[in-house]
Amino acid sequence: MKEMICIQCPVGCKLIIRKKGEEIYVEGNKCKRGKEYAINELRNPTRILTTTVFIEGGKGKHEMLPVKSDREIPKDLLEHAMKELAGVRVKAPVKCGDIVFKNIANTGVNIIATRDMEEK
Amino acid sequence: MRDVRIKKKVEKILRKYRAKANVTVEDGIVFIKGTVTSWRKYVEIGKETGRIKGVKGVVNDLEYPGKEKKRKKRGEERVIGKADVVIIGGGVVGCAIARELSKYKLNVILVEKSDDVGGGGATKANNALVHTGIGEKMGTLKQKLCVEGHKMFRKIAEELDVPYEECGMWIVISEDSIAYRLPRILKKFLASYIIPFIILRRAKKLGIEMYKVSKKELLKREPYVTEKAIAAVFSPSYAMTCPFRYTIALAENAMENGVKIMLNTEVVDITVENGNVGKVITTKGAIETKFVINAAGLYADEIASLAGAREYTIHPKKGATLIFDKETRKFLNHSMTLLRLPRIEHYKGGGIMLTVDGNVQWGPTIDEIEDKEDTSVTAEEIERIFKTYEPLMPKFPKKAVIAYFSGIRAASFTEDFIIRAAKKVKGFIHVAGIQSPGLAASPAIAKMVASILQQEGLKMELKKDFNPIRKAPPIPREMDMAERKKLVERDGRYGRIVCRCEEVTEGEIVDAIHSKIPACSIDAIKRRTRAGMGRCQGSFCLPYVAKILARELNIPLEKVKKGGDGSELFIGKAKCLLEEKNES
Amino acid sequence: MALSSSLARLNACWRKKMRVDVAVIGGGPAGLAAAAEASKEASVVIIERNEELGGILQQCIHPGFGNFIFGEMLTGPEYATRFIEKVRAAGVDIMLETTVLEIENKKIIASGRNGIVEIEAKAIILATGCRERTRQQILIPGTRPAGIYTAGCAQRLINIDGVMPGRKVVILGSGDVGLIMARRFTLEGAEVEGVYEIMPKPGGLMRNVVQCLHDFDIPLHLRHTIIDIKGKKRVEGVVVAKVDENLKPIKGTERYVECDCVVLAVGLIPENEIAKKAGVEMDAITGGAIVDEGMETSVDGIFACGNAVHVHDLVDDVTIEAELAGKMAAKYVNGMEERKGLLKVKAGKNVRYVVPQMLRGKDIETIRFSFRVKKEMENARVVVKAGEEVIAERKERIVRPPEMVKILAEAKKIWEIRKEVMVEVEEV
Repeated sequence: MKEMICIQCPVGCKLIIRKKGEEIYVEGNKCKRGKEYAINELRNPTRILTTTVFIEGGKGKHEMLPVKSDREIPKDLLEHAMKELAGVRVKAPVKCGDIVFKNIANTGVNIIATRDMEEK
Repeated sequence: MRDVRIKKKVEKILRKYRAKANVTVEDGIVFIKGTVTSWRKYVEIGKETGRIKGVKGVVNDLEYPGKEKKRKKRGEERVIGKADVVIIGGGVVGCAIARELSKYKLNVILVEKSDDVGGGGATKANNALVHTGIGEKMGTLKQKLCVEGHKMFRKIAEELDVPYEECGMWIVISEDSIAYRLPRILKKFLASYIIPFIILRRAKKLGIEMYKVSKKELLKREPYVTEKAIAAVFSPSYAMTCPFRYTIALAENAMENGVKIMLNTEVVDITVENGNVGKVITTKGAIETKFVINAAGLYADEIASLAGAREYTIHPKKGATLIFDKETRKFLNHSMTLLRLPRIEHYKGGGIMLTVDGNVQWGPTIDEIEDKEDTSVTAEEIERIFKTYEPLMPKFPKKAVIAYFSGIRAASFTEDFIIRAAKKVKGFIHVAGIQSPGLAASPAIAKMVASILQQEGLKMELKKDFNPIRKAPPIPREMDMAERKKLVERDGRYGRIVCRCEEVTEGEIVDAIHSKIPACSIDAIKRRTRAGMGRCQGSFCLPYVAKILARELNIPLEKVKKGGDGSELFIGKAKCLLEEKNES
Repeated sequence: MALSSSLARLNACWRKKMRVDVAVIGGGPAGLAAAAEASKEASVVIIERNEELGGILQQCIHPGFGNFIFGEMLTGPEYATRFIEKVRAAGVDIMLETTVLEIENKKIIASGRNGIVEIEAKAIILATGCRERTRQQILIPGTRPAGIYTAGCAQRLINIDGVMPGRKVVILGSGDVGLIMARRFTLEGAEVEGVYEIMPKPGGLMRNVVQCLHDFDIPLHLRHTIIDIKGKKRVEGVVVAKVDENLKPIKGTERYVECDCVVLAVGLIPENEIAKKAGVEMDAITGGAIVDEGMETSVDGIFACGNAVHVHDLVDDVTIEAELAGKMAAKYVNGMEERKGLLKVKAGKNVRYVVPQMLRGKDIETIRFSFRVKKEMENARVVVKAGEEVIAERKERIVRPPEMVKILAEAKKIWEIRKEVMVEVEEV
């Protein structure tokens, strides 16, 4: 038996996980995402990465462009991904959803902008 | 003969504290060399020696375990200038002297080791009171100069366009005032009649307007004052100013009238030739001069020693103060202090005071400290402030603290101001031991220094074109609306509010950065404009102020400093730590 | 709509005097939602002191926003963008870098680069958000060097201004802001020595404890606080200590922690300086304005919403509350506001405060009561009573002080009884 807190949404359900052979039973989840999370967390924990990259020639006062991974990446690769993004410089203009970096940490996941940034 | 008598007394003190030491006394100046077992004893010996009648200075060179050794800095011997007078120290005293001397046909240079005037020592951290002199020991130099300075202050503040407000001061006498063991009825009699009488008699002698009020009258005028009050004495001319703006204005006005101010310039040596001051050697180079004014505050003893003119040791005394939200301003109409007997030596007792900016302050405390730069505020001090001043106004909302700070008093062991020509080095003028009421006394100190210079042989001729007027840069929040609108139309930066708590605009910040004495750090801007001094303490405006500084100084944002060197706000650009990891 | 054209509008709308139906003060999540809703029935202006709309959301680059409203986990900037687009599409006037100086009888005086402007509004919505509690307000002793930042300030510096406040960080406070900054600093390559929390339980959502601390092995020290800050120019270290039941440091538990940065996440306070100037009555517990079920304050025609009323933990709740304020402000302007009387709403057993604090019998079918509990309780029953009668009830498996609880009640029932309303939480 294992307990964990679901992080899929702010409700934060307390999950109780029991293993019978290969079968995994999850209790305490208020929605189906809880079960998916529990199973995923046992086999291969993944997270969405949100961070920033430098933006050049952007309008306004922003030095940084907020970005995120368009899918979850393995938790263990977060640090590697951050290092890979450290030197990335994006030129304005950028649209929310634009890909700013492809195939982060060799996961096949792309890093996308999470806001518009106009040109100066 | 007097010296022999003093020496005997000092030796007795040294025996009491079991110090292994030698004493020499020359012309009233006591030199103590040797060792004691603790810093406490070092301080006590100094203080007790200072109390001996006839002592004009105490040079306390006693060693104690843990005493920090001063390392000598290296200077630049290359001569970079020549001056009639060099003023060492850009605090309120140094700047007041600079302005006073700028009235004369003299070549004056002021050197300041930090990056700003009024940004280093006691000037930046005090209670901003322009005392009347009633609280000082009768017959002292500091009392005389305080009474004079207070009377000069209004005019100077007007000339320099800095705030000055005669907010008045209550000396409240309450059931808590007399700690002596006396019958209640006698205490009450003392509090209602004898003490006010003594205070008023003193006031009359000094020419200070004061009057007594009954408990009823006091509570009518100050409804939140303690119910335990018995009577009070009111001083309507007790005043307050802004020590930062006043000091900066003095310096700016001095500059307008020809004084040269060198910042980031630390004095490392003073040469003496044929018994007369020769050169002041600084980290920027040497200045040739015949007269040096030692207004180095906490470091006045060290500066005097460079010239071989030691006549005193400075023992730092810390004072901590709490600042309250402007919302608490409604709890009092005037500043107030609670009289306490017996009085702590050389301490007016602090109180609940107004500020020119509309806040209320509680404090200051008084404590001997070892480190001249220990401006920390301890948990014990905070608690003590609450405990000390709560009896004066029990209903005051103590939770409304928005800031606290400590300042260090540059006290001499004789506890009075030491303003005189050095006994052995010609041309070296001491302006030392200036603790409270130094701010109030500053105009009178400056006058006194000018007359000493004249006595010492400096030719002093008044300028015809001295301009006493200095105009402060615009402060939109203090303007009436029509005027303010016009200003914003002329320059939109005065419309853009950066510090929301204190309503400080971008225009004011830019003015500060490009003023005669440029504000190059967050703290320097704060002192000039109040940006970051409000209830959020800069958590909203700091990034904006930092960016304006970076833009105006044309430096990268990560190089912006809070105060002096080594106080960089940031360790580098974002990602700098990841880049470091990538490299290794 | 493109940003440039709306900026052109911005300048065009600058008049020294203007009249508008609804003036919204603050362009963060509350102001945006209120403006978008009000603009359906009224002309609206947003007055924002920052250089762009979105408020604090623009620096909250992490996901976790919009789960209830959009059924998606958006980042702060994404959530903001949706509402910014809404107000632009609705033709709301936007004044940026403009600060309200005062409000007098619905006349707003504001200062900005383009001048000082007078805005006459029929209704005003206060959406001024909150500010962070500072080191000074919690009286942490020590020196005052560079390197001490509130969490929100540090967040802005890293995420927008692109500078790093420190290399080795100690965080005080385990509210959501503190937890999120612990992760953010770690991701950026800094070392977070630990998160210190004076209370016996973490202050933020459990999910944030997991994904911000556990994921990165950052220690959480409960019942601990900072009792001294050292360093003359930059922070050199802090002294931490364990605290007793009265939250006083325990002698002998002190520990020196070397660090160059202290981040304080020690609570948020509604910002109501302007509200107070306008004479709006305040709630001593929330620190925000007292409002009715339609988010109207004690001053006729002045509404308030979002963190200016009470500090929320989820932006979705802010949006819901602000939309209500916007809708009711528009109704007020159009003379369609109804009032049946005045009933007080009281916080009962284990309830710290309730919003709304009063009911005026407005044209609202279901009233949403938002509140916080005083202490954690498992298997709790949440009850809304009018007099002695239960109007609404619900069971909760767990209620915790950091998590706002909401319960809906039918207005009709309350007004049939017409007695003081009480919200209570009891153990089953």
